[in-house]
Amino acid sequence: MAERPTPDTEAHRLQVLLSLNILDTPAEERFDRITRLAARLFGVPIALVSLVDANRQWFKSRHGFDVVETERSVSFCTHAIQQDDVMVVEDAAHDPRFSANPLVTADSGIRFYAGAPLAAPDGARVGTLCLIDRTPRHFDADQCIVLRDLAAIVANELAAVELNRALQRQRENEAAMRALIEYMPEGLLLLDADGTILYVNPAAERIFRCSPHELLGRSAQVVLDEDMAALRARTGMPDLTPVEVRGRRADGSHLTLEFTLNRMILDGERRIAAIVRDISRRREADERSRATDERRRKYFATATHELRTPMASVLGFSELLLKRDFDPATGRELVEIIHRQAGRLVSLINQLLDLARIEAGGKEDFDIRALTAEELIDQTRSGLVGLGDTERIQVTLQEGLPRLAGDLQKLQQALTNILSNSIKYSAPGTPIALETFDAVLGDRAAIGIRIRDRGVGMTPEQQAHVFDAFYRADTGSSVPGSGLGMTILKEIVDLHGGTVELTSAPDAGTTVTMVLPAADVHHG
Amino acid sequence: MDKTVLIVEDQDDLRLLIRLTLKRFGRVVASADATAVPALVAAERPDIVVLDVWLGAAISGLDICRELKRDAMAPKVVVLSACGQQSDIDAGIAAGADMYIVKPFSPEGLESAVATLLAAPRPL
Repeated sequence: MAERPTPDTEAHRLQVLLSLNILDTPAEERFDRITRLAARLFGVPIALVSLVDANRQWFKSRHGFDVVETERSVSFCTHAIQQDDVMVVEDAAHDPRFSANPLVTADSGIRFYAGAPLAAPDGARVGTLCLIDRTPRHFDADQCIVLRDLAAIVANELAAVELNRALQRQRENEAAMRALIEYMPEGLLLLDADGTILYVNPAAERIFRCSPHELLGRSAQVVLDEDMAALRARTGMPDLTPVEVRGRRADGSHLTLEFTLNRMILDGERRIAAIVRDISRRREADERSRATDERRRKYFATATHELRTPMASVLGFSELLLKRDFDPATGRELVEIIHRQAGRLVSLINQLLDLARIEAGGKEDFDIRALTAEELIDQTRSGLVGLGDTERIQVTLQEGLPRLAGDLQKLQQALTNILSNSIKYSAPGTPIALETFDAVLGDRAAIGIRIRDRGVGMTPEQQAHVFDAFYRADTGSSVPGSGLGMTILKEIVDLHGGTVELTSAPDAGTTVTMVLPAADVHHG
Repeated sequence: MDKTVLIVEDQDDLRLLIRLTLKRFGRVVASADATAVPALVAAERPDIVVLDVWLGAAISGLDICRELKRDAMAPKVVVLSACGQQSDIDAGIAAGADMYIVKPFSPEGLESAVATLLAAPRPL
């Protein structure tokens, strides 16, 4: 038997064959029609598309042949792929390479063989288109040319396999890229050099609340408050510095956007890729924190001012008393002022510290437990000694109220602040009604506590500021007060998750309604 | 002395304190009402005005000072304020105040500041 040739390029050839991914695939008409045609054309019983694997030859197409594959050691094609041109064996019985081949010596074995190599696109010969007959034949040069041409057609089909696969890979890549862009959480726009929108991804549609047809082919100014030229000038392309732009949604509402632009050339055209982010929420948070800072600064400035004013009296009058002589009556008057202002200073400092403690500690510092409104009201009333005529307070308790969830000490402070205002700002002898009632906070059971006086009341303007720190509706200083009582009340109620409302009219009295969450009966 | 001092201060106790502190300079006119200042200045022709800054929500002592100082014959102005940050002081000087004194203040300090300002010649 002839030695099997194994050239240096064999490894590469096998690699190419494997990469075609064609071995052991089902028969295909596009190959079968060629073998059928070849058999008819040359009048041979057998025509094959044979692919030469490492240890076998496998037939992608078989005309007139039942065997799927044969061992490579008996393969004619192994020899055929060694040469560029068609290999012809007119009578194998008389060819020393094949005369002992079992395929030849068998009953009605192979006598005639003509095989044209099949070249993959890179030239590697992966197999043959071959003709086989059981009788010796003559095969002339013209026939060789026809066979070679047919082989070239088979080779094209093999290349098409590769091409289709490349196409498939490309489609998959494209689908992946498309999915990436479509599911990208950030808005993406493709614009031409004039700012006309050529593409928007779904995230951008969501940002602008637009459908694509509202955007495509239109200027980016549909969604931006700035034209493209100005925007490009600001972004400093190609530095890719994000810029802030005011944008417009389809419904006309405004939003703050962060734009990052990059330029590119696409199919020879100048294009702009833009990443767009909705930073409205971030800007709102910034704005809120700026407002909070501003409020703190103002609070601090006001607190300082409020502290310095009584300090000026204490320091000033005491210095006058030390440095000058006054008659006893005047001297006593000045000492009274010092005493009064020192008292004011102390109460102001206490209130400031209270408020600071409540704000700094937050809810964690509260000792929340279940307590009855009655318990809270009784304790508050007994603590009101010295604040004036507390007999005016008429309490009406609704029966069967759930217990409320609260910090007794803090709520007593809150209720005291309301009641002391009612006492201070209503005529002696007029009633102050304090009642409790069933309420809700959202979908949670709650307890309402309402305090109604028939005092001086407030204008709507005054009511608007009543919870502001240091605000005093009563600007005359006849009634002492820090302007922090209602601020502290609000802070305490807020931290309880409750609400406090105030309604008032000048000379008609003031009503303050506090609603506090009920204690959870299951866990309370 | 025979000077006229106008005090504009909305705190009763402080108005009394300043009045007692400055009464040796002559006549002292005091008002809690900032809006009355232009009329008072025109009527009383004070040599010096002692002005608080926070005088209620609507009007600032600095506005009054600025308004007064538009007149070349304006009296001396001492701004007396509980706002003591450098920016407050700068704002007071920018408004034309001849002196800015922060509350709490020493009455003796105020007295000598007023004496210094009154000793300087008034513009003719």
